[in-house]
Amino acid sequence: MEKELELLKENLQMELKNCTKEADCLNVKSKYVGKKSRIMELLASLKDMSVEEKRQYGSLINTTKKELENIVSEALENLENKVEVNFDDTVDYEVESGSLHPVTIIAKEVTDALKKMGFTIVSGPEMDSEYYNFEALNIPKDHPARDMQDTYYLDNDKLLRTHTSGVQVRAMEKYGAPLRICVPGRVFRNEDLDASHENTFFQLEGMVIDKNISIENLIGVMQELLREVFHKDVKVRLRPGFFPFTEPSYELDCSCLICDGKGCPTCKNSGWIELVPGGMIHPNVLKAGGIDPNVYNGFAFGLGLTRLAMMKYKINDIRVLNSGDVRYLEKFRID
Amino acid sequence: MLISCNKLKTHIKNSDKIDFLKIWDTFTIRCAEVESVKVVGNTFDGVIVAEIKECVEHPDSDHMHVLQMDVGKKDLVQVVCGAPNVRVGLKTALVQVGGHIDNIEITARPLRGVTSNGMCCSGKELAISDDHSGILELPQEWENGRDIKSYLPIEDIIVEIDNKSLTNRPDLWGHYGIAREIAAITNHELLPLDIEEVKNDKQDLDIKIKNSDLCYRYCGLKLENILNNKTPLDMQIFLYYVGMRSISLLVDLTNYLMLELGQPMHAFDARVVKSIEVDTAKDGDTYTTLDDTERHLTKDMLMIKNGPKYFGIAGVMGGLDSEILEDTTSVFLESATFNAGSIRKTAVALGLRTEASARYEKSLDPNMTDLALKRLLYLLRRENPDLVIASNLTDVYPHPFLEGHITLHKDTLKTYMNKDLSDEEVKRILEKLAFKVEVKKDVYEVTVPTFRHTKDVFIEQDLIEEIARLYGFENLEAKPLKLELTVKEHENVFTQEYEVKRLLATKYDMHEVHSYVWYDTNLLKELGIEKDGIKLLGKQENNILRDDLSLSLMNIVNLNLKNYNALKIFEIGSIFKNKETNRILSIIIADEEKNIETMYNEAKKIAKYIFKTLKNKDVHFQENHNTLSYYDEALSKEIILEDDVVGKIDVLKKKYTNKIAKKKAIVTIEIDFDKYVALAKKNILAQEISKYPTVNLDYTVIVNNQKYAYLTKVLDDFKSNLIINRKLMGIYENKYTLRYTLGSNNKTLEQNDLQKFKERFIEHIKNNNLDIME
Repeated sequence: MEKELELLKENLQMELKNCTKEADCLNVKSKYVGKKSRIMELLASLKDMSVEEKRQYGSLINTTKKELENIVSEALENLENKVEVNFDDTVDYEVESGSLHPVTIIAKEVTDALKKMGFTIVSGPEMDSEYYNFEALNIPKDHPARDMQDTYYLDNDKLLRTHTSGVQVRAMEKYGAPLRICVPGRVFRNEDLDASHENTFFQLEGMVIDKNISIENLIGVMQELLREVFHKDVKVRLRPGFFPFTEPSYELDCSCLICDGKGCPTCKNSGWIELVPGGMIHPNVLKAGGIDPNVYNGFAFGLGLTRLAMMKYKINDIRVLNSGDVRYLEKFRID
Repeated sequence: MLISCNKLKTHIKNSDKIDFLKIWDTFTIRCAEVESVKVVGNTFDGVIVAEIKECVEHPDSDHMHVLQMDVGKKDLVQVVCGAPNVRVGLKTALVQVGGHIDNIEITARPLRGVTSNGMCCSGKELAISDDHSGILELPQEWENGRDIKSYLPIEDIIVEIDNKSLTNRPDLWGHYGIAREIAAITNHELLPLDIEEVKNDKQDLDIKIKNSDLCYRYCGLKLENILNNKTPLDMQIFLYYVGMRSISLLVDLTNYLMLELGQPMHAFDARVVKSIEVDTAKDGDTYTTLDDTERHLTKDMLMIKNGPKYFGIAGVMGGLDSEILEDTTSVFLESATFNAGSIRKTAVALGLRTEASARYEKSLDPNMTDLALKRLLYLLRRENPDLVIASNLTDVYPHPFLEGHITLHKDTLKTYMNKDLSDEEVKRILEKLAFKVEVKKDVYEVTVPTFRHTKDVFIEQDLIEEIARLYGFENLEAKPLKLELTVKEHENVFTQEYEVKRLLATKYDMHEVHSYVWYDTNLLKELGIEKDGIKLLGKQENNILRDDLSLSLMNIVNLNLKNYNALKIFEIGSIFKNKETNRILSIIIADEEKNIETMYNEAKKIAKYIFKTLKNKDVHFQENHNTLSYYDEALSKEIILEDDVVGKIDVLKKKYTNKIAKKKAIVTIEIDFDKYVALAKKNILAQEISKYPTVNLDYTVIVNNQKYAYLTKVLDDFKSNLIINRKLMGIYENKYTLRYTLGSNNKTLEQNDLQKFKERFIEHIKNNNLDIME
């Protein structure tokens, strides 16, 4: 008898092991603990047994029945917790990702930094008039910058803006002083393409007009800005420059991040990259914008967004940026 | 522009105290950008003056000679030399045994069996000229045996300054101007130039200026009895180092003055000069310049005329017939100033930019023309002590150019620099730069020298720049801006553009591209699409501005379909129509032609999604009746928002797509971004959610010979206040499965309600000639 009961348990466990579905499990259940199961037969046979036998087997049969029931319910519970579909849980797919253009990413970073310093972002037209692009900026008629070699003139008496500076006077007219704006945008120069020259690239104009603005303010803004963008202190130097619409004018160079100042083709082996031309706004430009230069002054700068992107991402050929070649651009992802 | 430091040193007092190797970093941040600093003349040593005492032909060579040379010691030294100009009595440069040339040591070695104890050198071998026609010929008075470096300024530092950074500084187009800056930067004294005054006790030359707007001043001087036309070696070396060829003393001196003072000059053979007239050319005339090229003249070009004949293009280049010849002993010297813009235009029109025109177009100071003549006279006299001044220094100067006067306010200076500078310091800086300063209580009265007043220094801010740069930008501190804490946003175009770009890149895995704003005309030709529009002047290719952003992106699609089977790209860019610029968002989906339905529906979903998520607005689509010719009319849709067309969806016609890639389809979405930006974001108010459960009912409607657009209309006509939402679940052939979500705010719907809805719905469908699967 003991042997038979032991065998019942072993057989039940074996059969349950092969069950993958609840239904199979239930069939096994009825076979072993159902009304017509062997254990029930044994239970029923108890009443025909002698008192001696009852004492000997009664509790054993009852315990075994409970044990069988426990085994089945445990198996059922296990089955319930198991996902029904079998699959390869080691598979690891590549995820697809879109991408933003590196200039878009850098423009966002730069404008975010400037926003923190109280600048607002404005825009201006890519096709502009000679007035806003040149005249209003104190660039006289016979200035070399107005040459056909540098400027794309159009057959409708307009031109493709050669810089974002055209927005300076537009913004002064529209918003007046005081003013603290930045203007990211596409600009055009009639140039032959090579690794470091493009005819279409991006600049960011920055302009502050207020009372008592000094060159030191301009240096302050530049340092903060570059630190924000490069996440480290970048070596900068100012040197005199010349632009008709600023006076004094300067060129801000930063140490070349491609070669760390050692010299490479991007920085023409000088270790410095000419990054931000600018200066104090020329009184004539303020006047053109309807602002009294005796009350207000300010500074403006033109940051080369394309160049900044090239430095930040160590892009050594400017032409890829306008190529639209997704093989190259997709590497830049989103941020 | 190349600058010789040896030359600079001659203009600065106590210049030995200046480190000319290190000064250039400072110069860059004080004045103009230095591109390179190169030490020259240090590649050889042991080169001495040696005299040929004996000269016999090499026994085993048809051109070499065996020389016995006096090297300043008791014994002569035997040297073999192949130069044609060897002769007894010639003093030349000899690299001795043990000396180096190009860092290679010279040893005694046999040349075809005869030992040579050293090597005689040409100018080219010593890299002090490009003359390799023979060995150097040195002056007789030089002592044999002495290092030639003790006679000649061979070791030098040559500095290249970026021409672009000098465009506004006409005074820096010569060594003297650079020396003035160096002296100011290092607080040294600039030495005056040695000149020879002209007494003017002779006749004036016949010089006329016809057009004083274009020629400001013309100085002429006639000199005779110039018998020595050989340029001294030190001047030859200087010219060579700064990139000029030595030709003859007279020509070299005019170049030397241009390199020294920045004043271009011309020396004509006095035998051919009759009278000088400065006048514009006649349209259609031609003239042959001294590079033997025929030039076509226009009435805008200023000419120098000799009698009735053209003699030179003013400020650009002379002619063949005025050249200095070998037998020239008398010269007519020209030193003039012309209108900068006129010279630049002439040079550009002729495609002939010369050293002279490059300087003239910077607006030279008319007040240095006579100085240049007197300086040249001084230098020429050194080589020709017996030269004769044959005319007055004739000066035609209709409107003398005067110094400028600027009042510099002390408080303006303080505002700009945020520094308190003492009067002494301001005065010192400005005076070092040749300004004159009168210190008053609140202002400085500053006199601007003419050489800074032609185009550079006019207003007080110009003076502040002079002071700030010499004070040193690096001595200014960074000072943060003070911020008024107000929220002010003038516009949010950039932010909205970024928001959409990011959405497309993150949700739809698209790639942002940047393209050119003009059509790729070659691609248009290949595709056979004609485009007219705003044109770029002076360009033959890629010269039409785009009026359709998506079309202009087709070359990018073309490029990428070579590498990818499918593509999703976008750009927000400008298009150009008439005088207007518009911002457009263009999205392009390219994939297998068999997937066109999926692509097309995705395009609609994307358009809807942008407006729905970013503007809380719902758009719908309608037939576009103004499809551009290269898009498929049947599939062209307008995107409509509140009765306004805000964009469109198109499919490139198959015949064009096939030329880009076979078996592909290209779907474009365009959104008028100016309209998009102007759209206010709809403010959504909170809505109560019914506490009673909702019920979903699915119906499959069979639509025969009609499109979904018709079904939508029919469904829109079916009204019931139980409908919370209606959604298209899927399409199989002509069967459209719809899901209605029904519910009520006041009760739980009962079987009866649903039954009634169902009956009404089926009846409505059937009444509209549609079938329903039950």
